[in-house]
Amino acid sequence: MTAPTTGRLAARELTLAYEDRTVVDGLDLVIPDGEVTVIVGPNACGKSTLLRALGRLLKPRGGAVLLDGTDLARIPTKKIAQTVGLLPQTPVAPDAITVADLVSRGRQPHQHWWQQWSAEDERAVGDAMERTDVTALADRLVDELSGGQRQRVWIAMALAQETGLLLLDEPTTYLDIAHQVEVLDLIRQLNHERGRTVVAVLHDLNQAARYADHLIAMKAGRVVARGRPSEVVTAELVREVFGLESVVVPDPVTGSPLVVPGAPWQAERAVGESADASADVSVTAERG
Amino acid sequence: MSAAESTTGGTTGGTADVTAESTAGGTTHSTTAPPRPTARPPGFGLLRTGRRASFLLHRRAALVALALTAATAAVCVAYLCLGESFIAPADAVKALLHTQYGIGQPTPNDLVVGTLRLPRMTLGLLVGAAFGIAGALIQTVARNPLASPDIIGVTQGASAVTVGAMTYGVTAFAVLPYLSVAGGLAAAALVYVFAWRGGLQATRFVLIGIGFAVALRSITQLFLTKGDYLVAQQAKVWMTGSLNGRGWDEAIPLGWALLFLLPAVLWAARAQRTVSMDDDTATALGVRLGRVRLGLATLGIVLAAMATGAAGPVDFVALLAPQIARRMTRTAQIPLLCSALTGAFIVVAADLLARKLFAPIELPVGVLTAAVGAPYLIYLLLTSGGRGRSGRNGGTTA
Repeated sequence: MTAPTTGRLAARELTLAYEDRTVVDGLDLVIPDGEVTVIVGPNACGKSTLLRALGRLLKPRGGAVLLDGTDLARIPTKKIAQTVGLLPQTPVAPDAITVADLVSRGRQPHQHWWQQWSAEDERAVGDAMERTDVTALADRLVDELSGGQRQRVWIAMALAQETGLLLLDEPTTYLDIAHQVEVLDLIRQLNHERGRTVVAVLHDLNQAARYADHLIAMKAGRVVARGRPSEVVTAELVREVFGLESVVVPDPVTGSPLVVPGAPWQAERAVGESADASADVSVTAERG
Repeated sequence: MSAAESTTGGTTGGTADVTAESTAGGTTHSTTAPPRPTARPPGFGLLRTGRRASFLLHRRAALVALALTAATAAVCVAYLCLGESFIAPADAVKALLHTQYGIGQPTPNDLVVGTLRLPRMTLGLLVGAAFGIAGALIQTVARNPLASPDIIGVTQGASAVTVGAMTYGVTAFAVLPYLSVAGGLAAAALVYVFAWRGGLQATRFVLIGIGFAVALRSITQLFLTKGDYLVAQQAKVWMTGSLNGRGWDEAIPLGWALLFLLPAVLWAARAQRTVSMDDDTATALGVRLGRVRLGLATLGIVLAAMATGAAGPVDFVALLAPQIARRMTRTAQIPLLCSALTGAFIVVAADLLARKLFAPIELPVGVLTAAVGAPYLIYLLLTSGGRGRSGRNGGTTA
């Protein structure tokens, strides 16, 4: 297991809690610079909570999140916003806002009351809209867009912030498969071309395995495994983390691990023919 | 993109796009729309002053502000001319110039225009503007278009303290306005403290405000039934909001206070932008949400309390003005300047009607503010379609 030891963003003995329910307890974590880190885990495992804490949306109960070695709590929030961008799971836009207006809100941490629109703002917003393919929608109202379009607009806003670190909480929700792939490719492209460090929470284990340089698997507030997907994703891990029987095969396109869940439930399982079929699958499962 | 392309784009961007956008401004955007010359939010003009300073100006909002100023000026002229006696505009101006600036000869209209109508109109303008801004700020912080000073307890706090003071024999007009300001501030502060729970949640703020408002209203009723019959009647008039018998004594302190708060209002106009997102997104964009919200709410509450102190709770202005203004400007935020102008227009127009409609009987202005504003808001709601509505669903389908 290859756990990085240095990185701009790190958690030290991090304890996170809502009211009296502790979600994450004494977690140590380093986000590797210049890589795409994906956090996976079952529902309510604390992955979104962890991401929120890394983006100072949640105040730690104990320990600290460090940015360049300094406790986030000691850095002015506007200063953090110039380095760390974050797109929450369900962002809410102001009523009757246009696409270009919303994307331009991403420039806020770089603006002042006497400097509301610089050449740099112009370039960053134009670039972000182009990359997410929303330039043609610029004058439309966000309310009028489809879920997929809206999500791309939000991503454009986060991109316009032009931060070295970008945290994304389930950025592919609401998107059809083509747009999911588009967004994930975009993340990878940003990472490769501009050296952005990306941390994303993803629901889909296979997408995580495809796109992550560094995978963090969480269960019940603990990190169960971390490292390259090829080293980390195994049938045992899937069983341990998700409680799911599966077969892990090489992805025919990328060669990354591909998790194929066990046979679906069948009504005529006991009847002769289909029993043979399920026996076949269990044999394959054992091989995997 | 080649270097040549990027330089031409950069140099022409400053001048050419302004005209290109203003022609496309009001039209619906078809799929054949030409490529945008700028990434700047649509509808905004760019003002550059000096080398680094730049300001975004919403074109439509600027035009609406001009139109509102003209409309308010017109209603002010009508206010000075109309009443129990009609005074021609030219004579009204003459009387105004003489009484206020000592220009020209004394005229027979000096008393009516300069002493009776002008101070009352000025107070109406100031109260309307203050309620307009207060409503805009409170609606922004509460993220609720139905929020207003009477939702979060300002009005009821002011009423309870004022009526209580009247009941126990305080009738001096020099003291009462200050008492009601104090009452409004205290009530709103209590609501804020109770709603605070590691942060300010908009729904909680509104719900606790409603709770306090109901409790304070019953306290007021208690005072009304307990006290003398005549006092109760006086209190009732105050509680409806009236400009009758008020003038410079109320207008001058309110005017100074508004002037004093102007820098804060300018700050609020910009800060409002940042709190219109959800909490997480706003924080991620570097906004100190707690402070900004506290600042906006405090300013709104202070303005509402002062306006209430000067004229009593003039109903609906704080609720209607921001919503009307926003629908006219079609901005993503509630426009502060246009809210102030709309509020001023509504109050002066309503008071003109209140004086004129059943003359010689005068109605309290609070009775008519809703009658002036509400039909127009309903008209806007019916005609504006998807623009400027609240909520994520519904509205026009593309």
